Amino acid sequence: MKLKKYIDPVLDSREHYLKKELYGLVKKDSSIFDFLQLGALDGLWFWDLLDPENVWMNSSYWTTFGYDPKKMPHKVDSWQDIVFKEDLKNVYANFASHAEDPTYPYDQIVRFRHKLGHTVWVRCRGMMLRDKDGKPIKMLGAHTDITDIKIREEELRLKSAFFEHIIDGTDLGTWQWNAQTGETIFGERWAGIIGYSLSELEPISIDTWFKYAHPDDVKKSNLCLQEHFEGKTSIYECEVRMKHKNGDYVWVLTKGKVVSWYEKGNPEWVLGSHQEITKNKKDFERNRLFIEQTPSAIAMFDTNMNYLAASKKWFEVYNIKNKNIIGKSHFEVLPEIAKKWESNFQKCFEGETFKNEEECIERKDGTVQWLSWELCPWYSNENKVGGLVIHTSDITEVKRKKELKSLLKIAEDQNRRLKNFAHIVSHNLKSHSGNFEMLLDLFLQENPEIEDNEIIKLFKTASSNLSDTISHLNEVVLINTSLDKSLVPIGLKDVIDEVVRGVSAIALESKVEINNLVSNDLDVLAVPAYLDSILLNFITNGIKYRSKERKNHITLSAIKNNNYVVLSIEDNGLGIDLNKHRSKLFGMYKTFHPNIENARGIGLFITKNQVEAIGGKIEVTSIVNKGTTFKIYMKYEKN
Amino acid sequence: MRRIDIACVIDDDPIFVFGIKKVMQLIDFCEGIMVFKNGQEALNNLRAIISAKEKLPDVILLDLNMPILDGWQFLDEFVKIPCEKEILIYVVSSSVDPEDVLRAKSFEGVSDYIVKPISVAKLKEVLYDFENAF
Repeated sequence: MKLKKYIDPVLDSREHYLKKELYGLVKKDSSIFDFLQLGALDGLWFWDLLDPENVWMNSSYWTTFGYDPKKMPHKVDSWQDIVFKEDLKNVYANFASHAEDPTYPYDQIVRFRHKLGHTVWVRCRGMMLRDKDGKPIKMLGAHTDITDIKIREEELRLKSAFFEHIIDGTDLGTWQWNAQTGETIFGERWAGIIGYSLSELEPISIDTWFKYAHPDDVKKSNLCLQEHFEGKTSIYECEVRMKHKNGDYVWVLTKGKVVSWYEKGNPEWVLGSHQEITKNKKDFERNRLFIEQTPSAIAMFDTNMNYLAASKKWFEVYNIKNKNIIGKSHFEVLPEIAKKWESNFQKCFEGETFKNEEECIERKDGTVQWLSWELCPWYSNENKVGGLVIHTSDITEVKRKKELKSLLKIAEDQNRRLKNFAHIVSHNLKSHSGNFEMLLDLFLQENPEIEDNEIIKLFKTASSNLSDTISHLNEVVLINTSLDKSLVPIGLKDVIDEVVRGVSAIALESKVEINNLVSNDLDVLAVPAYLDSILLNFITNGIKYRSKERKNHITLSAIKNNNYVVLSIEDNGLGIDLNKHRSKLFGMYKTFHPNIENARGIGLFITKNQVEAIGGKIEVTSIVNKGTTFKIYMKYEKN
Repeated sequence: MRRIDIACVIDDDPIFVFGIKKVMQLIDFCEGIMVFKNGQEALNNLRAIISAKEKLPDVILLDLNMPILDGWQFLDEFVKIPCEKEILIYVVSSSVDPEDVLRAKSFEGVSDYIVKPISVAKLKEVLYDFENAF
């Protein structure tokens, strides 16, 4: 062990002259030393190591601990009673080391119990004085009261522990980023949120953030951050997805604030936190989807009637084109309806519920909508009305169906009345006209001489016309009202042949050639008597309205067209001016050819009724003096 | 050749009854005429005749559309009455509904269906049929 050679500053020529002078004064003048030991230190002690019971302690030594120096004996026992025993271990260790090696500093913090009971923290430094062999003989010590510093330190430690606990308790991940240097510090929880420990993420830099955040959300967060830097927002706040170790994305709410500026507008340190919000986000998302996709029209409003949520159906029912209505007022989105219900809203906020099974709403564009709706308040967790919920169903379609149903009922009623009417025609009118005919007959039998009387002749014609008309009417009514018209498949070609055979005498006489080009594999569904009558009518019409100027023909052909057989009956006769007569063509007692005798205008009328009765229809094309083609659509029987 | 002794007309229409009586006279259709205003009246009287064993008509001309008991109901009841005598029944109606015609002919006792108005010619046919029936 080598002792460092001590050089007396009084003798050292390199020292400042004032230092030399002060050192000289201390040696010569005890008052200078007194000033020093009492004014500069909180305690001075001088210990006799050869007689360790004795230690001299100055007055400030004791006043620091609250004791009266006069009453305190200069014995080791005096201080050993008030020192914290647990601190002595360290003191002894330092004492031993310093005794061995003078360069080892005897310097430690030791706690004493103040007379009033509180702790006094003292920095205790000491220095051994040795004999010429280096053996310690005396020890000089100095105390500095550092209690104030210690208290502050403790306060600071507690404060920092407090914040740490809070951060721990809130499960927040922390981050600090120096925007100038790029230095980045993350808390352990920052890494924990995404399933890592900090050490796994080493080396940490701002790139660590970019690596784990969802690229789309990084863009979003950069925008938010920029706005904060520009002072547009008081804090930076953004919801982002981060890739978890397990491969899923977790939702994180990141918040932060610039805490120091490099220069104006140029941030230095930015501090912030990460909070995991995946569950909230998922709950929210599920609620949002639930509302949005609920298969009925509902919407939720706050107490200002601003939209909080609305289902897709809501948009459909109210035909709302703008999809961005959240936050907007109901009065802005649907003014007509909102105004109408305004008084109800107020009462609803007071807790009432309203309901209407059907209400007719007339929209601005004139459309009429039938709605069934219900208004009810919704309550917050504090059991306060938070706004209201409206549930609506569009029952326009249902209403329409109901109307159709009632129309159908009316139609059924009318049909029934028509049948009744048919009955009246058939029985009553007919029997009256029959009586006329009979009486007239009898009258003529009894008075044959008046048969040539003009009035009687006309009377007879009138009576017979009346009977004819009634029987035609009767026939038509029967066609339209007989319920069980059983349609049977009929071979079209054969039935045409049959009818043509029946009229062959007249056809021959009239020199009209009839061609049946219908193939024999076509079956139609019809009432046999009707089909006979239909064919007969068209063919005899063709003969009746033949042209006297040329050789006439009637040609029948048929094609399949979906579920129909279309029978064409074409002639080259007189034709009909369809521009003039189309609307009356199939009317009762309509005739168009004044020169044709026996044109009664009943055939086409009855034919049309019969065709329709078997589920068909008739189309006609005609050119005057060229000919006419009737197309008869009849149900096709699939073989 | 037999003659119709008694003809029975069941019809509620007085004009028709008047007319048919005239026609019957004209063609000397029968000896006597029995007229009932509806099916019920006819049924009551015919039952009484049967139980009294008096003379029943040879021919019945029956209207369909009548009050109280119509032609159909009369037929339903009348066929149930046991009766030894063969009576020709003609339904005489204004109706040309094929259903009515078919229904009338479905009754075994009904000989034919005559559509009103009745004429000399039609009644002569009935007479001819009767005279040559047996």
